[in-house]
Amino acid sequence: MTAAKNPAGLRGLAEELVAYARRCGADEAEVSIADGREFEVDVRKGKIEHLVEAGSRVCGLRVIKDRKTAFASSSDLAVSTLRRLVRHAVRRTGLSSRDEFAGLAPLSKKSVAADLLDLFDPEVREIEARTKIRMARETERIALADKRITNSYGADFGTNEVLLVLANSSGFSGEFAQTYCGLSVGLQAGGTNDRVEDSWFSSKRHFKRLASPEEVARTAVRRTVRQLRPRKIKTQNVPVIFEPTQTSWLMGFLFSCVSGTAVYRKATFLAGKIGREIGNARVTVVDDGLIPGEIGTRPFDSDGVPSQRTAVVEKGILRNYLCNTYAARKLGLRSTGNADGGGVSPGNFYLLPGTTPPEKIIATTKKGLILIRTLGHGLNSVSGDISRGAFGLWVEDGEIAYPVSEITISGNLGRMLHEIDLVGDDLEFISPVTGPTIRVAEMTVAGR
Amino acid sequence: MKANPRRTSRSASSGRPAPSPGGVPYIDHFHLDTADLRKILGLALSTGGDFAEMFMEYRTYDFVNMEEDIVKETGESVGLGLGVRVLRKGQTGFGYTNDLSLDKIGSAALTAAAIASGRAKAAPARIRERRAAGSRYRVLRPADKAGLGKKTAMVREAYGAAQKFDSRITKVKTVFQDSLQYVCILNSDGLLVTDARPMVKLVCSAISEKAGRREFGFWGGGGRVGLEYFETRLTPRQIGEEAAREAILLLEAVDAPAGRMPIVLGPGHSGVLIHEAVGHLLEADFNRKKTSIFWDKMGRRVGSELVTIYDNPTIPAYRGSYNFDDEGTAPRKTLLVERGVVRGLLQDRLSAGLMKRPLTGHGRRQDFSHAPIPRMANTYIDRGESDPEEILRSVKRGFYVASLQGGQVEDSGKFTFSVSLGYLIEGGRLGAPVKQATLVGTNVDILRKIEMVGSDLTFGLQTGTCSKEGQDVPVTDGCPTLKVAGMTVGGRM
Repeated sequence: MTAAKNPAGLRGLAEELVAYARRCGADEAEVSIADGREFEVDVRKGKIEHLVEAGSRVCGLRVIKDRKTAFASSSDLAVSTLRRLVRHAVRRTGLSSRDEFAGLAPLSKKSVAADLLDLFDPEVREIEARTKIRMARETERIALADKRITNSYGADFGTNEVLLVLANSSGFSGEFAQTYCGLSVGLQAGGTNDRVEDSWFSSKRHFKRLASPEEVARTAVRRTVRQLRPRKIKTQNVPVIFEPTQTSWLMGFLFSCVSGTAVYRKATFLAGKIGREIGNARVTVVDDGLIPGEIGTRPFDSDGVPSQRTAVVEKGILRNYLCNTYAARKLGLRSTGNADGGGVSPGNFYLLPGTTPPEKIIATTKKGLILIRTLGHGLNSVSGDISRGAFGLWVEDGEIAYPVSEITISGNLGRMLHEIDLVGDDLEFISPVTGPTIRVAEMTVAGR
Repeated sequence: MKANPRRTSRSASSGRPAPSPGGVPYIDHFHLDTADLRKILGLALSTGGDFAEMFMEYRTYDFVNMEEDIVKETGESVGLGLGVRVLRKGQTGFGYTNDLSLDKIGSAALTAAAIASGRAKAAPARIRERRAAGSRYRVLRPADKAGLGKKTAMVREAYGAAQKFDSRITKVKTVFQDSLQYVCILNSDGLLVTDARPMVKLVCSAISEKAGRREFGFWGGGGRVGLEYFETRLTPRQIGEEAAREAILLLEAVDAPAGRMPIVLGPGHSGVLIHEAVGHLLEADFNRKKTSIFWDKMGRRVGSELVTIYDNPTIPAYRGSYNFDDEGTAPRKTLLVERGVVRGLLQDRLSAGLMKRPLTGHGRRQDFSHAPIPRMANTYIDRGESDPEEILRSVKRGFYVASLQGGQVEDSGKFTFSVSLGYLIEGGRLGAPVKQATLVGTNVDILRKIEMVGSDLTFGLQTGTCSKEGQDVPVTDGCPTLKVAGMTVGGRM
């Protein structure tokens, strides 16, 4: 079960199943296999609470016959089980409707060399369990040393190693191995009845690039204690400054609105808006699956289409939807290499940074809210409406005055993209969907 | 072609656990005999663990998906695997594998055993199978035995009903899913239980469009039932029509008001608020760790005398119900809050042991690759005495919550809910429909401010899934009509 050590076996199995599906009467077939190993340790109050180590595999199948599609998957990789699922799937295609858009991606002439993408760190496998445990302990210890921190959710160190294999009847056969490691800690401050909480993390493909326990702990402490003794505010319309973690979810929401699947389903307010101005000139958004070493990077998508860099929004103009092969066909576009299972997922999807330092964004805000955390769902891609519970820092005369809680923020993504009036210079890939600090000129903040 | 069709059908169709002549039911999915199992438990305890457990799972799952006016795809999946857990003084070691060769299972057991370091203290006890007193599942026509043609016909029926409901419905999507999960749980105390848990679900979403405006509606049903449910309880046609009705209604909806105002929570759907705002914080792990606002409030008043809250995993046929939890405990209807006073917590084995409290049967896991944690099953506020009409009439100006899309809560009790459909209340009557509002508050505040509790206890849609620490489990929740004196509604000015 060692990923990347014995790839030929799984690659051979995938190719063999593709051939078997063709023999069973499928016009087209695709087989993917993921072979993963994970390790995770949770430490709380200095003690190991939870230690997990395991390996698992899963195989996914797609067969198409007469333009009718059937799927199957199994975590039982016995050849007899997989062949049975192939036979069932081929038979089951008869129950689907004919779909003229169904079909695999044609074999691309281009290909991306996985080795150049820096997705695999051999060191991740070598880290000893006691080192991982020590790092988690250390992170929590540093955080708890701060007297203002009154309780801990624990610190967590995890690693993951996955080999992905994909073969299909268009002639594609590929694989790549990738690693992840992550360190995080969750904290509480305040007494039982006036608790505040927050957490921080670092997540990278390479062990050496992971933030230190010290850095993770300090950030978590700072983010937690700054919320102590919140005030309530009256309902009002003010500028709202999004910290990078908040720009992240806003970009995640934008992604769901430019996903080709949502577009052909008309489940997004951005359907039919290619070439139109959907934001102001400060808004440039890119999806890039090729940035070496980043979490959102991959050589090819689940259709076997090579990854690429796609301009999504350029100076406010909507340029491209992000598509898998199917959505692209439905929309008469080309796949952007964003296939993920049956759906669409981002590569590294981010708002390009501007030139204003975040401190200056705050300093130039006379009265407003710095959004630091949100709760709840409240995102409607059909209308673009946003309404979420929020925690923030109130800004008066360019300075942070006090924390606020029990508020909601509401707005509409379509309008907000036009109302972003400042873009920070602080882009960092803390997660694959992200952006810098931004300011939205006006949103409704509901309180008392 | 299923690995064990004969035994599965009997269990699922009768709703009773399968008999196990001469052996352990379902175990043949795993190709292990009881001697093997005891050996593995012995290995798991070999380093001095206090307790060891194996969770074996074999799950079959089917789906049919219709959108764009065609049955777009069907799917079948098989999940097979085994998780081994070792407990030692509040610490958990866990390993899992879906390669069920004896040496792989042995190495998962040794991984779990690594949480302890010492010599074996105890050998596993003699294995005794425990049977359920009666089944919570209500299956006349098991979904796993029905042909896909029947399921496809239901999907088409719901789809067509939504589409025909109104010419402003522009997109419909309908999905049918069914699964059958065989579990076999075995621990070093000698407990052995097996179960075959059926589940079906049919959901429909509809998008309406008028003058460039688009809105979304959703409806669905199911549970631990057979396909007869969709004839006798909730038909595919009703599911399609309700989804469309909501999408059409929202076309006329106004923006939510913003600010603090009296709230009436409609019956059924508002149960998710109780689930999020109260239920999670009464899960034992958050209280043992003292992160929940309730940890020091056992036996103390936290809410209005009108509020009594239970979680009951034994309600027949519900999505959140089960014969045994994922640690093999027979579940109990559990009193959480009695007339405003905190009375109980949702326990799993780990927390119950550390807190020296009895098990309640709420140790659940998503699948074999996760260790169990305390979870809700079917959570609800018990019925009160007020007439729902009278509750509405008592509010001059306020906000009525008809359906909630979801919510989130943190351990401090602060929560947020998204209201997908609400109404203004004007002069004690429902006024214009309202879209996309958000409710925020803290749980103790809302519990204190519940002023009226209706007599109309209702459960929400049998479609809900709860996520916690990356694990999804099926749940339901319920509540009668409730009046809350004041809550913050987030909308636009």
